[in-house]
Amino acid sequence: MTLTASNLHKSYGQTRAVHGVSIELRPGTVHAIVGENGAGKSTTLRMLAGAERPDAGEMTLNGARYAPPSVIGAATLGVSLVYQEITINRSLSVAENIFIDRLRMFAGRLGFIDRRRMESAAQAILERIGAQISVSSDTGRLNLGELKCIEIARALSTSPKILLLDESTAYLDHREVQAVLRVISELRGQGMTIAFVSHHLDEVLAVADELTILKDGQFVGTFRTSEIAPREIHHRMVGRELAKSIYPPRPAKDPGRTARDPVVLEISDVAVGRELNNISLDVRAGEILGLAGLKGAGAEALFAAICGDLPLRHGSMKLVGGSYAPSSPTFAWRQGVAHLPGDRNNEGLIAEFSVLDNLVMARPPHHGPVFDRAAAAAIAGDLIAQIGIKAQSVDASCRSLSGGNLQKVVIGKCLAIQPRLLLLNNPTRGVDIGARAEIYRIIRQKAAQGLAIILSSEDMPELIGMSDRLLVLRQGYVTHRIETAADATEHDIIGHMA
Amino acid sequence: METNETASTTETLNASGGPIRNAGRLELLKRSFPLATLVLLIVIFSILSPRFLTFGNLLIVLQQGTVLLVAALGMTFVIMAGSIDLSVGSIVALAALLTALTADRLGAAAIIPAIAVGAAAGWINGMLLAKGKVPSFIATMGAMVVYRGIVLLFTRGAPVSIEDEQFLDTYTNRTLGIPHSVIIGLVLTLVAYGIINRTVFGREVRAIGGGERVAILTGIQVDRVKISMYVLLGALCGIAGLLQGARAMAATAQLGEGLELDVIAAVVVGGTPLTGGVGSVVGTILGVLIITLLSNGMNMIGVDPYLQNIVKGIVLVCAVFVTIDRKKIGIIK
Repeated sequence: MTLTASNLHKSYGQTRAVHGVSIELRPGTVHAIVGENGAGKSTTLRMLAGAERPDAGEMTLNGARYAPPSVIGAATLGVSLVYQEITINRSLSVAENIFIDRLRMFAGRLGFIDRRRMESAAQAILERIGAQISVSSDTGRLNLGELKCIEIARALSTSPKILLLDESTAYLDHREVQAVLRVISELRGQGMTIAFVSHHLDEVLAVADELTILKDGQFVGTFRTSEIAPREIHHRMVGRELAKSIYPPRPAKDPGRTARDPVVLEISDVAVGRELNNISLDVRAGEILGLAGLKGAGAEALFAAICGDLPLRHGSMKLVGGSYAPSSPTFAWRQGVAHLPGDRNNEGLIAEFSVLDNLVMARPPHHGPVFDRAAAAAIAGDLIAQIGIKAQSVDASCRSLSGGNLQKVVIGKCLAIQPRLLLLNNPTRGVDIGARAEIYRIIRQKAAQGLAIILSSEDMPELIGMSDRLLVLRQGYVTHRIETAADATEHDIIGHMA
Repeated sequence: METNETASTTETLNASGGPIRNAGRLELLKRSFPLATLVLLIVIFSILSPRFLTFGNLLIVLQQGTVLLVAALGMTFVIMAGSIDLSVGSIVALAALLTALTADRLGAAAIIPAIAVGAAAGWINGMLLAKGKVPSFIATMGAMVVYRGIVLLFTRGAPVSIEDEQFLDTYTNRTLGIPHSVIIGLVLTLVAYGIINRTVFGREVRAIGGGERVAILTGIQVDRVKISMYVLLGALCGIAGLLQGARAMAATAQLGEGLELDVIAAVVVGGTPLTGGVGSVVGTILGVLIITLLSNGMNMIGVDPYLQNIVKGIVLVCAVFVTIDRKKIGIIK
């Protein structure tokens, strides 16, 4: 089926989210919608899926007028949406999750669910998309990529002709992303019409046949993926020429100087829980140490141990030469160890609070028990200027900020204590390319000023572009050490990861 | 840069997934709800009863409301942190009992054991929650029964009267026409206001309610703050118990029974949502006035006492209906 939309408009109050976007989705074609945060990608997709109603514009499905009243309405017409967030209920089985809204279909004579029939139907869909998941697996133990595949299976269970995926890979790691991309290719082979929204250009290039670029809610153009260079895509998304690389240049390396830089953190033979075994490493002042690895490979456990959130099972740590055994995150922050968690919304900041509240949360300025608001405002003002947080004022609620700005707030919260060691867990997750470049600039600038940084990331180019040295982790062990990250290749790293 | 500015606004709108055009108006309604309810109640009762809006009656309302106010100030912290305390009524009874037992010997200084026993009871609650990781709803429900049990065990159901002149003078006399209990309530209100709005502790309590995991990972001593806020609530309940005992000139085993519901209702009606992260002393004052005026006014116009509970319940549910943040699921930690 072919779905076309022409000249779509959608405003929320004063804000024009989508302004004159046209798109054509054709059978057997994977169509990517790309753009910066706020470009209108998700809104466009949601209008196609019936989740939002356009203010103006026409949509047709196989030539007939198409104006779905809701997502369910669209599904009955053959257009299915997979949401950005994971919506799997982990206390239900795989099959129940797939048929969650149509369990009645499998009602037996007495009204009981015929599990066998439901499970074989579910397994058939999973096999059709080539996902290697058994319906008998425990949903609680599946990884995010597998859950995403189950969501795709759910969307397919209504036998749609058109599948829309909203940022389906945002929270997935490399291996999980590959699984989802495989499913997408498989479905294209079966003649499905697919559109997806993504922040990651490498994914887009890997799987999309066509791409539509949006910028500030406006239609920039539709291109064949094979006929447009990545740089050109960036350029059209951002609307200005980006520097050759979004990664700032490393300072010239002087081996003599590096050896003289003090070691900030030294970890010897550390084991944490069941996730991390016998790791030894050191980070010097002014250095960015990259950690590569799949989810669960040990980077998160290592961070939890360094920031005092998990106890060591074995081994010892030293911070600037002195013994360091953090009993709690409080202890770690007091010692100048700042931590940017991987889950911005649940661990990084409190969205309902103001920018100021979040920025000074770790070390609020005070006189005795009394909070010093004037000093806090000064600190927050400084950080906002230094990091380039775009907020109306220090008192603006974080709810009003975009993903990139929120992440800058979390970075600001870390920098507010003038740390000597900074732990970064996926600092640019869900952040658009413009804000990404700024975050990289800040990180590199802080390193140049002598901050020791450990960077854990699922984004390979980021690790290679930002790290000075790299460690690759697999199942709790260091499998590879790369002394000059600039010379590393993705292929090399991935080879040691999986 | 200007384009980025618009871009970020758009993103927020997208993320919320629906029209938020009415958000401003709704927010205004939420915030003005407690005050509007109070004004509405005053207008209705003044029309229905000529004796309602008199200085004498308003003084009675303040006196009646003081015990509730003192306990509700402490509860504001606990609810702001996303927790709850069901044992406040029992702590009040415990403190009143200790006051009655010591007033003869200590006189006005009986406030010291009252505060101490309240703080101790609060400390136990806080430890159960922070260190024992027992959800506060369950921990304090158990504590409610235990503390009440202690009172029953000591009194065997018989009231303990308070006769010490100095004690009664101190806590029930008036200065410039204002009962001392009301003055104590006002002073404590100012203190609570200062703690919530001006101290690091107040901010930490709010952060725990806003996002406990964030607070922990940002190095806030969450356990210590939680224990402290329960100690604070316990101490305030100690004072509330003393004031209640002084007013009744006795401590009874039933004193403060059901108070926890009025206290929670007052805080919530005042606009502090059970979801935590937000809290206001001014709101709590309004909530206390609403709850107290509602009882007082309904008595004045002669509403069937059995009907009064129904009205109170409806007001509480309406308040939560209007003020709750539906983006967060209301789990009491």
